[in-house]
Amino acid sequence: MPQGALTQESDVREAYAAHAGELYGFAVRSLEDRGLAEEAVQDTFLRAWRAGDRFDPQIGSLRTWLFAILRNVVIDLGRARASRPVVTGDVPEVGHEPLEEMLVSWQVEEALRRIGDQHRRALVETYLRGRPYADVASELGVPEGTIKSRVYYGLRALRNALEEMGYDD
Amino acid sequence: MTTDECRVWRERLGALVLGQLGPQERAATEAHLEGCPDCRAEADALAPIAAVLQRADPERLTPTPSLPPGLADRIARRIAAERRAARRRKVRLGLVLGAAAAAATAAVLLALSLTGSPNTTTPAQTVAFQHLPSGVSVSASLQSRPWGSDVQVHVRGFPPGTLCMVWLRGADGERIPAGSFRYVYAGETDEAELSSALDPPHVTAVGLEAGSRTFVAHIPSSGSTHS
Repeated sequence: MPQGALTQESDVREAYAAHAGELYGFAVRSLEDRGLAEEAVQDTFLRAWRAGDRFDPQIGSLRTWLFAILRNVVIDLGRARASRPVVTGDVPEVGHEPLEEMLVSWQVEEALRRIGDQHRRALVETYLRGRPYADVASELGVPEGTIKSRVYYGLRALRNALEEMGYDD
Repeated sequence: MTTDECRVWRERLGALVLGQLGPQERAATEAHLEGCPDCRAEADALAPIAAVLQRADPERLTPTPSLPPGLADRIARRIAAERRAARRRKVRLGLVLGAAAAAATAAVLLALSLTGSPNTTTPAQTVAFQHLPSGVSVSASLQSRPWGSDVQVHVRGFPPGTLCMVWLRGADGERIPAGSFRYVYAGETDEAELSSALDPPHVTAVGLEAGSRTFVAHIPSSGSTHS
């Protein structure tokens, strides 16, 4: 059994404390249902515990491993839900965005949440919403050059946040 | 190139990699990068971040919902329950083993009188199953006992509830059952402790019938025993 395998109940508690928040955030994002997301997180930790002797930190991080399990759980839950008869016409569908891509999106969004408010606003307004620098600058009452430097430091902060989260492209 | 000069250029690098600079400013910044390896390296490091940034949806930046209270406890209870169930399963198998041992006693006593003292310290013999479907793992080990063999079987990857029957094949082709169990939890390794009246040196193959499939591990003849 590899050193660091997830076999004790205390290992699972530690893994939960470190990663459950993120896993839940992604589950809510992809399933669009908090009840299902809670079920998904519970299943993820149960599966992780059952297969805990196979987890090897030499091969990949615990976070990456848990996200891989969650991915499978979300697919299973999505399938189970898809096979149920639809009663109303406005049930949100799972899988209109491929799950891998959704995971990337969610990680970038999570990283954006973690950086400073000014940096986030600069990136969101000028890039994601595509607004002219002049508009954003006058709205915030700062020179355009300030927005430009916030975009730069914001990208650096985003890179650090993604690294801290263990994101690897 | 002074650091202060670079700072001015640096602060344009975000806009550069995001494609936000006008043509003139862009050309000037790129000209600086031509002659400044440090700023070039910084621009190269930011480019992949710029590429993933477009994957974010600005409408989804509201705070992440907090974890439902009590979820950690519910998971801990489920794990504790599964741990208890796994322990009960082992105990049940132990009872099966005990019954099998008792049933074999008469034969063993006869065998002992014919062959002399039993071999109690032989190391367990591990048996490898090959050509398994992906996701399935099966292994077995045989331990010599006065009544025959302890057969320890590890299986993983079958649909939950799969009936598993284990047998040993003797030198002249006869199958001696070692017992049966049900594979219970998806994703978990089930350990079954079974027993058979056949001695390890006489075993030529171990078979596992799981649902409708049969997996056989052949044991190469050691040349020490033939019947």
